[in-house]
Amino acid sequence: MVIAFLAPALTLYLGFLVLPAIQAFYLGFFESSGFGNKARWVGFENYERLLSDGLFWLSVRNMLLILVVGGAAVFGFAFLFTILINSGLWGKKLFRALIFMPNVIATIAITTFWSFAFMPRYGLLTSILKTIGLTSLAGVAWTAPENVIWSMMVGLVWISTGFFTILILAGADKIPTDMFEAARLEGAGNRQIFRLITLPMIWDVILITLVLWVIQAIKIFEFPYAFGGPNIDQNLYTPAIYLYIMGFGQRDPIYQLGYAAAIGVAMFIFTVIAVFLLRALSPRERVEF
Amino acid sequence: MKTKSSIIPRAWKNAAGYIIVGGWSAFSLFFVIWVVLASLKSTRNLFGNPWSVPLNPAFGNYVKTWFVSRFGEYFLNSLLVVSLSVLALLVVSAPAAYVLSRGKFRGREAISNFIVFGMGVPIPLLFVPLVVLVSALHLVDTLTGLGVIYVSLSVPFTVYVLQGFFSSLPSELESAAVIDGCSDWQIFWHVMLPLARPGLATVAILNFVGLWNEYQLSLVLINSPEKRTLSLGIYSLITSMKYTGGDWPGLFAGVTIVMIPTIILFVFLSERMISGITMGGVK
Repeated sequence: MVIAFLAPALTLYLGFLVLPAIQAFYLGFFESSGFGNKARWVGFENYERLLSDGLFWLSVRNMLLILVVGGAAVFGFAFLFTILINSGLWGKKLFRALIFMPNVIATIAITTFWSFAFMPRYGLLTSILKTIGLTSLAGVAWTAPENVIWSMMVGLVWISTGFFTILILAGADKIPTDMFEAARLEGAGNRQIFRLITLPMIWDVILITLVLWVIQAIKIFEFPYAFGGPNIDQNLYTPAIYLYIMGFGQRDPIYQLGYAAAIGVAMFIFTVIAVFLLRALSPRERVEF
Repeated sequence: MKTKSSIIPRAWKNAAGYIIVGGWSAFSLFFVIWVVLASLKSTRNLFGNPWSVPLNPAFGNYVKTWFVSRFGEYFLNSLLVVSLSVLALLVVSAPAAYVLSRGKFRGREAISNFIVFGMGVPIPLLFVPLVVLVSALHLVDTLTGLGVIYVSLSVPFTVYVLQGFFSSLPSELESAAVIDGCSDWQIFWHVMLPLARPGLATVAILNFVGLWNEYQLSLVLINSPEKRTLSLGIYSLITSMKYTGGDWPGLFAGVTIVMIPTIILFVFLSERMISGITMGGVK
């Protein structure tokens, strides 16, 4: 019975997720110029090439900017909203739902709006800045190579904040309310309560959300790729985007399947390292309640 | 003891809270309203008065997007492949989650962890191998192939969340069913599955929204225009606009078409969706 119940799910999982993942490692040792073409064994050549590939490291740098700077913004806002919403605001459920809402909307829909907002000359942002008289700022090219990743990050932080706010709020809601009441009676302020009660009590939740963020940030593809549109700026490349462009080409197909697979393997290794680091750095003892 | 002087700053703090949280929340509404209004303008009006409310709504944008840009077909493709995938996903995942949470056999925890591990695999790692695999199965550029991949890659999350639901069910009912002489299958089908209905509904909605909105897998697996899903259709429209000039209102009509179904689901089921996600993430 156990086998019959598990078999369908396990078959699909093994066949279309685990097996391809292993195959990616294998493909990374080949050079192949297209689907159906004969592949040639090259050993670690793809990985040696990765190490000296400036575009790959640019994509890694962009990914790290998203991971660290974007992450700081996302978690900063998420904590702020958790504190504010839990400080006794009326309409908690409504606020929570509205803050989360962008996450149910297709990524491509979100990025289309933000592309229009940051469009040079006619964009929404330029129009706001002109209206309030900041004409010097209105002239900034938000999608120029040196700015484009930050423009992209605005929209990304916006939706991700919604996602991580509900997770951290849910963690905070698990804390018994009498602890807050006791602290308030003792005269603790919102900030003190957050630092001395909420934060230590939800350490495990924070750790899980950080792991989730790291996993998401390392594999990020859809948001920056859609924001960049056709002929995407290299300053928006993430490893996943670079992988896609190497494997499937854009306007001029380049099919380098082995190299693309090697980039995927690098992403997998980044994920494993990051998750292990997070676990190693987190405090061992947990507060039980 | 509260004195007057401590009440006033508290009210101020609350006001600041309402402004920050309320402002951020209002922006979500603004986003939806602005996109819908933009989809009803002429191109000239959109660029000239991006903040105006169109007094003569250009419903023609929708007609053009639906028929000329083929969003009608894309809508049906999305509806078909996503609904059937979610259905198949439940059929496959519910029994697995059930035995993994209630069964007593060796290696249960190991298998459980092994499936959870799948949530950490970056999907782009699978782009190239999946195309190789799907080609070998002669399913490349088909909605069937896309659906099979949708189901398979959604198994870890779905099994994980459903396991949580099954573990929370009382075991007395199970024991009573065993005493009454029910077979394992009968216990699952007649006792546990009906009890887990809220959980099934939750994972169904979450997966429906997630798959409806995704476009990276369809981008990799679908080539033919007539097989595009909605999200992929929008991406293709953006790509073609680069060369034919910008029909932005038409594009926003497409954006409205893709986002309205999930927003409607959210309006009615936001509590269930949020509790499902927080349960999966923060158990």
